[in-house]
Amino acid sequence: MSDQGKKIDILKLATGVPGLDSILGGGLPEFSFNLIVGPPGSGKTTLAHQLMFALASRERPALYFTVLGEPPLKMLRYQQQFTFFESARINDTVRFVSVAGDAAAGRYDRVLARIMKEVEGWSPGLVIIDSFRSLLNEAHPQANHLSPQAFLQQLGVQLSSWQATTFLVGEEPGERDLHPVFTVADGLLSLCQSVYRNSMVRKIQVLKLRGQATSPGIHTFRIGCSGLEIFPAAAIPGDTGAEQAARAAPPREQRLAMGVPGLDAMLGGGLPSGYSLLVAGPSGSGKTILATAFLAEGVRLGEPGVIVAFEQTPSQSRDRTIVELVQGGKIGLINTRLLDLSIDEIVQRLIDLIQGMQATRVVIDSLSGFELAVAPTFREDFRESLFRMVAVLSGLGVTVLMTSELEDRYTDLRFSSYGSAFLTDAIIVQRYIELDSRLKRAMAVVKVRGSAHSNELRQYEITGAGIVIGDPVAEYAGLLSGRPTRARGGPG
Amino acid sequence: MATPDQGNPAQRREAIRRRLAAAAGGCADAGAVAAAASGVWRQVTECLAPMIGARGVDALLGRSLQLTAPAFPWLARVLDQEDGRELLANVQARLAARDPNAAAEASLALLVAFTELLATLIGASLTDRLLDPVWGGAGAPESKPEARP
Repeated sequence: MSDQGKKIDILKLATGVPGLDSILGGGLPEFSFNLIVGPPGSGKTTLAHQLMFALASRERPALYFTVLGEPPLKMLRYQQQFTFFESARINDTVRFVSVAGDAAAGRYDRVLARIMKEVEGWSPGLVIIDSFRSLLNEAHPQANHLSPQAFLQQLGVQLSSWQATTFLVGEEPGERDLHPVFTVADGLLSLCQSVYRNSMVRKIQVLKLRGQATSPGIHTFRIGCSGLEIFPAAAIPGDTGAEQAARAAPPREQRLAMGVPGLDAMLGGGLPSGYSLLVAGPSGSGKTILATAFLAEGVRLGEPGVIVAFEQTPSQSRDRTIVELVQGGKIGLINTRLLDLSIDEIVQRLIDLIQGMQATRVVIDSLSGFELAVAPTFREDFRESLFRMVAVLSGLGVTVLMTSELEDRYTDLRFSSYGSAFLTDAIIVQRYIELDSRLKRAMAVVKVRGSAHSNELRQYEITGAGIVIGDPVAEYAGLLSGRPTRARGGPG
Repeated sequence: MATPDQGNPAQRREAIRRRLAAAAGGCADAGAVAAAASGVWRQVTECLAPMIGARGVDALLGRSLQLTAPAFPWLARVLDQEDGRELLANVQARLAARDPNAAAEASLALLVAFTELLATLIGASLTDRLLDPVWGGAGAPESKPEARP
């Protein structure tokens, strides 16, 4: 687009809140008038403080008005527990002003006058007003005085022309659409916390932001000692920007060695780069060992990897190889034992680690553990989330190996409980088979999208050196049904 | 969550003592001591009220009077007053009615209790940062690097 038709460039401020700029569509528009709404305890005041300390500077001083929220002393006491709170900046680049007295007396005309006087005197580039809950809900304003609704609207109008980026913090009124302040606002951030069974998950949504393509949907966040960290949902990185072009996916002709002798040949010459592979099999079939070999081979070839593990006790069954590779910094490990995760949180951590390590191989071990680690509220959407995750990883150009626990049924042939089979580009299935009164393992390549591959069912053994693939189980038929018969020469 | 750092109470107490002495200007008269203390209180209020609200300051003053009551029961009797300005006027009147040494001692104790109370609530470094302009100059407690959680 030429610059001729473009009238104004709106500066987008970097908010300093991890993940927020991304869901805002690149940052916060300078001089915008924004609302942060949500029920008590949802993190509004913390978000407002975090934004203020990140955005305030000598050139852009901040004014924080406390109106009818928590008492300022308490707010200062508790907000200091966050690392972003810098006492040394108070009364320098950051100033707190209490207007609670006039607000409590219902004198919103005075509150407005006081706010505007402070704004004129201090010339802030950032104004935060916390909170306006009661103002929205007050049904009977005092006669002859400015009503709370009129106060909010006038405030919006006056501050919008003051060249100050403004935040109004408050609880959401019942009828959001009817309140004029929601019309005046340029941006609307809604925070909530949902409790489902025994887990609590915090969520944020950008309901409105003028002039910007925001990231729609509900995003999860956590509040830690450094404040809010938002995990954007379906943030397929740079799917529209230069980032994507720069991160051009490697040519698909390239094949990755699996680190298991013979398996590359079964896959038609290795796993195509950028593919996602599902390794499905019953407990003890060697999925983790195969995944370990895949990562170790990557390290040997100078292709760093990342593993996401979901074990309830560290190194429970984790191969020594993985431990050594992690300790040596050769591969990255995310091992979470939390049980209230959002998939987006895992994806965000994974993206950070992949980018930090410049990893090209990713292992998720296992999808079954992943489902358990996800907060119950997300389990219903697990399949969709998995789809998003695979899309995000595919966008990053990494090659993914996911393991999936299979109940060893002989009545049907299934590859996953999540319908994840169709999501992946390649599938390897592992089974137990009974041969000559022995329990043996066999594996087969079920699919490799766009590529020829072996259709043999091959026996394999797990030895100290890893997986050793043996001969095809050629002389039997019906192995997968659990009732094999000798293909040639007599019953089995 | 940890209780905020208390900083250096001895240093803060000394800064307050010097500030009160400077305000009284060496007068041996209890009225002058009371007026000086009242002046310092007004400055404290001016520094804090915009931030924590006049009611917030009043509440802290009320609690400080209660904390100093065991040592100065005659000072705490003003607690029935609700309005901060009246409360302070009564404190001044009661100080002026004592002998100069008792007035000086009580006004120091009250201000010290107030600042320690504030430090307990919002941390020593923020307290010192906010009240630094009142104690002023070299007598002010040294500002310390921020304590992080």
